[in-house]
Amino acid sequence: MSIQTPAPAPITATGTQPRNHDGQAIAITVFSTIKLWGRVFLPVLFFVTRRIPKLTGTLRQLSFIHFARWTVIGKLPYNGPPQKKGRFRYPHMYFESNFNGGWEEYIDAFSHILTDGMTAFWGSSYGFPKPLPTAPFKRYIQDNETEADHYYCAYPEATSTMIQRSLELDKKLVALKRDARRMDPDAFAAAYRRFLTDAQNAL
Amino acid sequence: MASPNVSGQAYAFMAMTPVMPGEEQPLAEYLRGLRARGPSPLARLARTHLARFVIVPDFKNDPTWKQRHEEHLDLNYLIFTSNLDGDLDSYLDELCEKLAPEAKEIWGRCVGCPESAEGAALKTYLRHNQIDTGIFFAAYGEATVATVRKALREREKMIAFAIRAQGMAPAALHEAFLAEFIGAQ
Repeated sequence: MSIQTPAPAPITATGTQPRNHDGQAIAITVFSTIKLWGRVFLPVLFFVTRRIPKLTGTLRQLSFIHFARWTVIGKLPYNGPPQKKGRFRYPHMYFESNFNGGWEEYIDAFSHILTDGMTAFWGSSYGFPKPLPTAPFKRYIQDNETEADHYYCAYPEATSTMIQRSLELDKKLVALKRDARRMDPDAFAAAYRRFLTDAQNAL
Repeated sequence: MASPNVSGQAYAFMAMTPVMPGEEQPLAEYLRGLRARGPSPLARLARTHLARFVIVPDFKNDPTWKQRHEEHLDLNYLIFTSNLDGDLDSYLDELCEKLAPEAKEIWGRCVGCPESAEGAALKTYLRHNQIDTGIFFAAYGEATVATVRKALREREKMIAFAIRAQGMAPAALHEAFLAEFIGAQ
């Protein structure tokens, strides 16, 4: 049985469905079917990527991502009938991302900045059209995306950039607070000015 | 060897459970209606950064992809993923206790879920249906939800203070800073 969706919900200003939102946070959920060679290639790619953190460094450039994950599923745990037992004929890749901003901008940034990484991760998926040009790739993601039924963010008002800057600021502020007590007013005023200069990008 | 589910102190949990035939629509309506009934029940799990419920009806098949065989899911599947703080074991304990009112409406509609849909039995069920992550990326994986919220609050406070403190003489600035950031602690 498929789930009835009487009328498609309107796309929001950020380019995705309303249930994929919680405040600033946006959910993307994509399944793709992997060609048989991906069954060997992707676990090796994941293994290498986990061991060489530099490989995920480019992801950090996309400062609007909170959390993302890729998972290859070859079989599902068995829970008894009416579920069928056994492996899938093809492995399937689950991708989810939690980000902020606009859906189109997100896919654009992924395509332009992570071109090689995208090809490595999705190159073994059926129907993958390459990351560039972006229009066919966006269609591919849209076609394979499933809207969340419920999505939750613990800090919906905050963007990922805001969080990362706040955490940086907090470290600096802790040091200033620690030193403030034992400083005289002039020394504190100088330290405060240095703090503001140093932390201005985080404010 | 580090778990593929871990990045920093953050843990990526995923459970994929088969939905009982006939329960697809009621489950979807229940999950979609959670917002209308008040704050998300996931807010009760203080270690949850971001989480989602997604019902997947089937895999996509497209004849232009030259896939030799079509592949379909045997049933609809409910995916629950959470990006959480710390260890999974104690998180699932919290989930099974604090989400008890909702769990029966959610996983209680899934094949193999224990009748009570709570406590140790639900934890075992979720563990059984856990799927390990291949790659987990966390932009601030060292920070807990509490740390993030505190940092956001401190930033707001600092911005307000910086505006207020403009032009203050050193003695007044020092006193105001201590009162704002030390005195309240």
